[in-house]
Amino acid sequence: MENSLLTLLVFVPLIGAVVVAVMPKELARVVGLAATIVTFALSLYLIPPFLAGGEASQAVEVFGSAYGEKLHFVERLTWITGGSFTIEYFLGVDGLNMPLLVLTTLVSMLACLASWNFNTWKVTKSIKGYFVLFLLLETGMIGTFVALDFFLFYIFWEVMLLPMYFLIGVWGGARKEYAAIKFFLFTLAGSVLMLVALVAMFFYSGEAVSGEPVASAYRDGVTLTHGTFDLIELATNETIQDYFGSAMFLGARFAPVMFIFLFVGFAVKLPVVPLHTWLPDAHVEAPTPISMILAGVLLKMGGYGFLRMCYPIFPTGGEFWAFLLAVLGVVSILYGALCAMAQTDFKKLVAYSSVSHMGYVLLGIAVMTHTGFQGAMFQMIAHGISSPMCFFLVGVIYDRAHHREINRFGGLWLTMPKYGTMATIGFFASLGLPGLCGFIGEVYVLLGTFEARHTFAWAVPCAILAASGVILTAGYVLWLIQRVYLGPEKPEYAGYPEASGREMAILVPFAAFCLLLGILPKHMLFDYVNGTLEQIVNSVLVATQHATTFAAGL
Amino acid sequence: MTTAMYLTQLSPELCLLAGACLVWLFGVSKHAGVRSLMAPFTLLILVAAMVCTAQFGRPGSAEQPVGLLFTDLAYYVRWATLSVGALLLLVNWRTPADREQGEFFGMILCSMAGVMLTASANDLVVLFFALELVSVPTYVLVALSRTDSRASEAAVKYFFLGAMSAAIMVYGFSFLYGVGGTTVLAGAAGHTLQGYFTDAGAMSNYAIIGLVLAFAGLSFKVAAVPFHAYVSDVYEGAASPVTAFLGFVPKIAGFVAMAKLMSVCNWHLPEPLVWMLWIVAAVTMTVGNVLALLQTNVKRILAYSGVAHSGYMLIGILVGPTWGEGPMHDGVAAVLFYIVVYGVMNLGAFAVLATLSIKGRSVETLDDLAGISRKAPLAALAMAICTFSLMGFPPTAGFMGKVYLFSGALSTGERSLVVLAVIAVINSAIGAAYYLRIVAACYLREPTADHQRTGGIAPRFAIAVAALAMIALFIRPIDLVTQAKHATQSIHTQSSSLAQSPPAPVKTLTAAK
Repeated sequence: MENSLLTLLVFVPLIGAVVVAVMPKELARVVGLAATIVTFALSLYLIPPFLAGGEASQAVEVFGSAYGEKLHFVERLTWITGGSFTIEYFLGVDGLNMPLLVLTTLVSMLACLASWNFNTWKVTKSIKGYFVLFLLLETGMIGTFVALDFFLFYIFWEVMLLPMYFLIGVWGGARKEYAAIKFFLFTLAGSVLMLVALVAMFFYSGEAVSGEPVASAYRDGVTLTHGTFDLIELATNETIQDYFGSAMFLGARFAPVMFIFLFVGFAVKLPVVPLHTWLPDAHVEAPTPISMILAGVLLKMGGYGFLRMCYPIFPTGGEFWAFLLAVLGVVSILYGALCAMAQTDFKKLVAYSSVSHMGYVLLGIAVMTHTGFQGAMFQMIAHGISSPMCFFLVGVIYDRAHHREINRFGGLWLTMPKYGTMATIGFFASLGLPGLCGFIGEVYVLLGTFEARHTFAWAVPCAILAASGVILTAGYVLWLIQRVYLGPEKPEYAGYPEASGREMAILVPFAAFCLLLGILPKHMLFDYVNGTLEQIVNSVLVATQHATTFAAGL
Repeated sequence: MTTAMYLTQLSPELCLLAGACLVWLFGVSKHAGVRSLMAPFTLLILVAAMVCTAQFGRPGSAEQPVGLLFTDLAYYVRWATLSVGALLLLVNWRTPADREQGEFFGMILCSMAGVMLTASANDLVVLFFALELVSVPTYVLVALSRTDSRASEAAVKYFFLGAMSAAIMVYGFSFLYGVGGTTVLAGAAGHTLQGYFTDAGAMSNYAIIGLVLAFAGLSFKVAAVPFHAYVSDVYEGAASPVTAFLGFVPKIAGFVAMAKLMSVCNWHLPEPLVWMLWIVAAVTMTVGNVLALLQTNVKRILAYSGVAHSGYMLIGILVGPTWGEGPMHDGVAAVLFYIVVYGVMNLGAFAVLATLSIKGRSVETLDDLAGISRKAPLAALAMAICTFSLMGFPPTAGFMGKVYLFSGALSTGERSLVVLAVIAVINSAIGAAYYLRIVAACYLREPTADHQRTGGIAPRFAIAVAALAMIALFIRPIDLVTQAKHATQSIHTQSSSLAQSPPAPVKTLTAAK
């Protein structure tokens, strides 16, 4: 159990998909839900090793052996070898991906429950196909988060696109074909440069170690003699790190070039303005549960990629591009918020609010401070809870009204009081009201940005601009709540049934997490992630030789 | 004694050619029953050739006949040709008209024998002869594939352009003979090489002219720009099963011949030639992809995508086997792996087109494909797998192939090759756009026409094998990769052991680091 938990986690949905495929179609959703519930239950077993982590968060060791040793549930098998290269089936969990994994299984389970009324959708063809693809998507997502071999990661990352493409393209709205192809092409175009980086990192790491084979930093007794796809090795092996810092690629410094190659791929997913244009289309056309997964999990892969790859492996690249990234983050925050404000389509508004919220993630990471990284991580989890909830709230009302025009709604709180209450929690969490989950992440990011003022002259203006994004967010959320939920009851919506038991079963867990994360951020998240994050930040700071500056500044 | 040895070494090719004669003979039988046996009989001949290859085809220390050299490369190409060829035969099971069974299957056998001879050719004359043995039957196949005028038009175009390219190539060979003083490629006293180079160590201008012309002729075979103009018309005009044949057989012959010419030059081409190939590769992949984007006919899309794939494979030829072992470093091994994968995925896609028809005509355009996932779910699934493999998307063998090709270029660290790899990955993203349109037509659109299934069980079996092979070669590429590695080691060592006094290698490209 302990040894193969991650494999189970990855493949339980896949087995579920096979079972769905062979069972009669009446059972498809039952099997699908059962598979997601089992997966969620399994993912809870990931938490205990981190509970002892009171000291994990204090164990601030310089990034090195500690990072590797803190991996749990490690599985490594050789997958493809060819003399001079090895591609491994290498899975592991640390503070970075554990919360994201639990979030993935939770959102998948709730999204599967949200697919329960499949038979009332506009497109009702092939329910089996839907649940098979849904479960394949879950396998892809979990695989992406647990893979620690870059090659394996890349494969999961790409494979995940396929079910998503079909889920949007077959069961989507009016412009589904356009949206599906756009989603696919944007992500693929982003990841082709990642493929170059993948191979280049392999060869450069090979060059680094081929001179004098060095003992692996965390694998005792294993000597690295050729290049590696191992993400932890790439980040912790000092020989490789030194070489990456000094090597040249096409006449430019290796680290900044590779950083940007990786960054583009992750930035499409996050999404960062101006690479975000697939997101509103995909969200609007996708069926509700798929929007929930898209917003709740897929966007987080961008941020996860920054934290897992870009910064630990190419810290100097992060420093090189810090200004550009921070500016892109601020632009995403403000532009996303302004676009959200201008929307008349309910779902598109939530979609643009995601762009704005993910901008905080980028800004928090770009400034390279402890607080900024923590804020970015928290913002990812918080948004992973609040945005699927908002999409589901839109879906609930769309199922009844069959339109999403904000201006045609009104007084829904009176018609559906329980639903209205949930909606208020969800949207206020998205707004960043203190006490709810959205607040902590944004505040930490802003604090982290101010903290960076000694390193980066532009940090303070960025922080001020980003803070003004909070006001814009409050503007569009409050205006939205006013137009949709407040005001006098409209006659055409008077007869709408209250949120059903199933709908409440989806909304209540989300609302509970919104509150819990907002009230107990330390116990809910920071205790688990801080150890790993601090190691990553420290290594970045050491590598960029700003550690002393920071110590003086603080 | 030696004659018998030569004959056993040549037995796979002889088996095919003798089989072709028998097929021609019995294909004109008066009895329809005999004529209908031609396809199974051809399959039997292929199996017999495989047995011969397994039995006698392994390269040994035996004395080699003049003009031929049986190396690991020949062994690999024989197996590749025979096994992919067997699938192609299944796809073509019912292509020829009843009266033309004999001609059709005989031509298929001849063409495959040509590919296998290309891989063992060790003499410019034999090489030319082998390449023509590949090409000439394909002109006939195109003409025989359909009864309408489009096929005849395609055959005529293909024939005239092919004849011209053969003339260019043989003109180039005449230059090589002129400067080298021999037509032997390798294995003799090594005078070929020394003849190509001047005393100062640079390649003689006549040798350069000869190689440029020879590569021009071979570019036609692999459909590289600027010799790609025929592909769209020919591929569209020929019946889909024959198009699948054209996508593999001439290409593998062309690339193997290119690798042979490169190995004769000890993998150190002079700068103008390297840049010529570099430009051809970059332009080929870009032009192929951009033109494919503009098409609505699936056969034309796949035709231009084939041009783009030739561009990708030219990278491997440029990289060569000298940078290290294994397909992550060795460009030629990557090409040998990729050409097999490409042949299989390409035939899978064309075979799907061949097995569906609307009102008696075969499916060709994107609109024709609309909604086939409803009517023929398995065919649509196979189409999706083959298309994603062509796109280079995991979990398919096409992804592995692309990784090997591109990583070969990146492993060199040479700036120009790294740039070429970057151009290639950008191209593969462009390519995704039109491949995705094929998948979208199959899955996302509603059926507009009534599809019938045609072609019988054999092509469908081939489709299933192709689709499964694409997944299997992703999960376990290592066996094929190992074979490809051995194959290139043979031409690598062959060229280096040959050169007693190799000319100073002309290091053409500035190192990036």
